[in-house]
Amino acid sequence: MALVKANPPGIPAVGDGKPTPDGPASGLPPLIETGPSVEDLLAALDAEESTTRRSAARALATHPEAAMALCDRVEIERSPSVRVVLFTTLIRLQSPEIAARLAGLLRSEDVALRNGAIEALQEMPAAVAPSLRALLADPDSDVRLFAVNILGALCHESAPEWLVEVIASEPHVNVCAAAVDALAEVGRPEAVPALQALRARFPDEPFMTFAIDTAVRRIEGR
Amino acid sequence: MTEAPPREASAARPARRVLVIDDGITMRLFYRSVLEAAGFHVEEATNGVEGYEKALADPFDLLIVDINMPKMDGFTMLRAIRRDRAVLGVPAVTISTEADPADARRALEAGANYYLVKPVAPDLLTEVARLMTGGPA
Repeated sequence: MALVKANPPGIPAVGDGKPTPDGPASGLPPLIETGPSVEDLLAALDAEESTTRRSAARALATHPEAAMALCDRVEIERSPSVRVVLFTTLIRLQSPEIAARLAGLLRSEDVALRNGAIEALQEMPAAVAPSLRALLADPDSDVRLFAVNILGALCHESAPEWLVEVIASEPHVNVCAAAVDALAEVGRPEAVPALQALRARFPDEPFMTFAIDTAVRRIEGR
Repeated sequence: MTEAPPREASAARPARRVLVIDDGITMRLFYRSVLEAAGFHVEEATNGVEGYEKALADPFDLLIVDINMPKMDGFTMLRAIRRDRAVLGVPAVTISTEADPADARRALEAGANYYLVKPVAPDLLTEVARLMTGGPA
């Protein structure tokens, strides 16, 4: 049986140009696996053809050493379909370093890139947890809001507790509203006093009153 | 002289239909409660992809569009909708947390007709919905 790896579609074959053993028909068992090296795959991330870049991004999912290069690429990649594969690969390779790089994209003016980063970070609870405290304390209220969006969808045991901390101290109404919305989904009964206290901080915001009522009803109904 | 039959008043007119596209469940419920109280018929979508599909499948009188959504953001969804002749003219209001004028400009360039900043007061939402749909619900 052949052990020769097929090149990912779009990735040029590499090697010395000689025919590759193709299994029993060659009469010799293959001695090594062939396929593009990490260097070739990294180079292919800059290829003109999006299919080549997409294949390279997919093939790099087994190469943790390529993580930072993938993070570099996702910041400049223009093709939405390649971007999706880059994010998927980064999710597979997830680490605190990758999460920290993706967290930097929360400041991007490119909404699709920013949302891609948010969705990717939601898929790596353990990796993103060390970055979340800093994000929730960021001077930019938009970054804090995106951090709350991540927290709300994160399957992390501390998420409800962190959301309660947000509504207890966060000054911006929209960040608090996002936290209340998240608590409606993941909050526990312990969150109800903090929600009631929040009501007093924004007495003139009809949406906040509505959101708190909705969250309390949902939490108490669970 | 016999009394003229009552005219087909606005009561006979079907309610204006609004599609609310927002990933936040509380936000969708809030918009629904405000708009239904004003006489609009409201349907919901939870992300840009679902919003795009619903908007094309059965055109609405108004789209209320969040910007930051999973799967497809509001700008991308609006640009896609504005490329489709069938729904080209459907008015759209974007509602975002970002009050930066540059964000408002981006929304208008993407195809929005109006830009509101969260949190939106119920009276303002109703007024804008009426304005965009050409009168009372």
